[in-house]
Amino acid sequence: MFLCCSLRSFGCSAEVEETLKRIQGQKGVQGIIIVNSEGIPIKTTLDNSSTVQYAGLIHQLVMKARSTIRDMDPQNDLTFLRVRSKKNEIMIAPDKDYFLIVIQNPSD
Amino acid sequence: MFTDEALESISIQSLWRKSQRLEQESRGCQTTEVHSAETDTQAVSTTISSTQTEPQDQATELLWKNHESEPPGLKDFLQRVEDVVIRELVRNSRSHAFDGFQVNWDYSQLVSCLHCLQHPTAQERGLHATSVSWNCTGSVIACAYGRVDDGHWSTERSYVCTWNLSRRGFSPKQADLIIDVHTAVTALCCHPNQPTLIAGGLYSGEVVVWDTSRTQDPVLALSGMSADSHREPVYQVAWVPLEKKGEFRVLSASSEGRVLLWMVDLDQGRLVLNAAYVLVQQQVPHSSVSFKAQGSGTVGVTSLALSPWDSDTFLVGSEAGLLLRCSFSSKTPAAAPFEGQSVPPRAPAVFSFRPCSGPVHSIHCSPFHRNLFLSAGTDGLVHLHSLLQASPLLSLKVSDSYTFQVQWSPTRPLVFAAATGQGATSQL
Repeated sequence: MFLCCSLRSFGCSAEVEETLKRIQGQKGVQGIIIVNSEGIPIKTTLDNSSTVQYAGLIHQLVMKARSTIRDMDPQNDLTFLRVRSKKNEIMIAPDKDYFLIVIQNPSD
Repeated sequence: MFTDEALESISIQSLWRKSQRLEQESRGCQTTEVHSAETDTQAVSTTISSTQTEPQDQATELLWKNHESEPPGLKDFLQRVEDVVIRELVRNSRSHAFDGFQVNWDYSQLVSCLHCLQHPTAQERGLHATSVSWNCTGSVIACAYGRVDDGHWSTERSYVCTWNLSRRGFSPKQADLIIDVHTAVTALCCHPNQPTLIAGGLYSGEVVVWDTSRTQDPVLALSGMSADSHREPVYQVAWVPLEKKGEFRVLSASSEGRVLLWMVDLDQGRLVLNAAYVLVQQQVPHSSVSFKAQGSGTVGVTSLALSPWDSDTFLVGSEAGLLLRCSFSSKTPAAAPFEGQSVPPRAPAVFSFRPCSGPVHSIHCSPFHRNLFLSAGTDGLVHLHSLLQASPLLSLKVSDSYTFQVQWSPTRPLVFAAATGQGATSQL
């Protein structure tokens, strides 16, 4: 895998930064990633390689989860996805343009 | 008288002029014809080849480039989700929903100890379990007791106990059948087809076949102490299938270097010697790895394995660490002194694998692959060998202490289990 350019934060508004800071300040939060609708991470608090890995894998998972919900009931839609693992919990808030991925270790 | 006459003129040719005349000849020469030919060639076939790299995985290479302004809608998106996310985060940090919840994906944790089988009398006397064997139905386990630490000759009585695990009144402390044996039993093997027959090797060198269905005297056949039988403890017994289906013979190996093939004679209740193989140091084929032959001693056999694929081959492991491939049909006579046995001994060793340090405690041929077998010795390593080459294919360090037994899994081709001095482990 070859990363052709490093992740840079772009000039963004203070509100966005503040919101992320508030989320980051919650108990046990290890990292936040914002991914756009194509699966490309736009903002992250983790390192590059983990970000890219999370973004790719979780994007596929969210798509699958969403299609599962909609197949069972076309009027329904996915609002929130939580994946609990031995070490932490990954919370994903999906939307039409972006996903917000928060990794939390609740026992911290 | 005189008349006029005209005479013709007479010419005289000049002689001197003629000789001075130059002679002239004309000659011509020409080279042979030069052959010239014209030919054309032209390639009729053409090939075109080109290469192209595969397109990069899209997801990994693109990270957002430098933007002057943030992506559209990000602020609104975050405003929408912020509350939800924070609420979930807070709830999660307080939640006790998953306390003590352990999911078990790991297959290895499914191994659990079901029963601890004991024979109280044997335990009181401090006897060790020397050999364990399942019978062919899979419900009876037979255990031989004896001593492994005694160096000298012992005439201690010992037992062979069987437990039937599927019986209703099954109790781990009470054996179903106890067979009294006059010396320690060092090897045990249940018959592969008949659930009541058990073959055992004794410390005194005898080979016995017990029939557990006979209530009065379970001894079916005995090899007896004759010139034919072993003189040293029998470390391995095995049932060898014959060409005729359903018939089996007993193969026994002892530490004096003899491997004997017995036939069960039901009428006389004896084991009749069918074939004898003696392993002598000099007759061991030396592989390319240097191995100095020390004197002319015998090779003490500590483990034996039959190949399920080739009925002629059997593998032998010795006290000195030698691993040999032997053949039942070998015709070479053995170099050991002939002591009045009924069957002349033969030298069975055909090929020698790379020796390990320390006695080889266990060999097992793979039930799935024709040429593979495992060997375990006291160096704590399990070697995976191929029958075709001398060096092991793979050596795995299983434990720091001795490995006593290794066996392939009968269902999964890549799994084997090794029993060590510290406890059993299972490996891939």
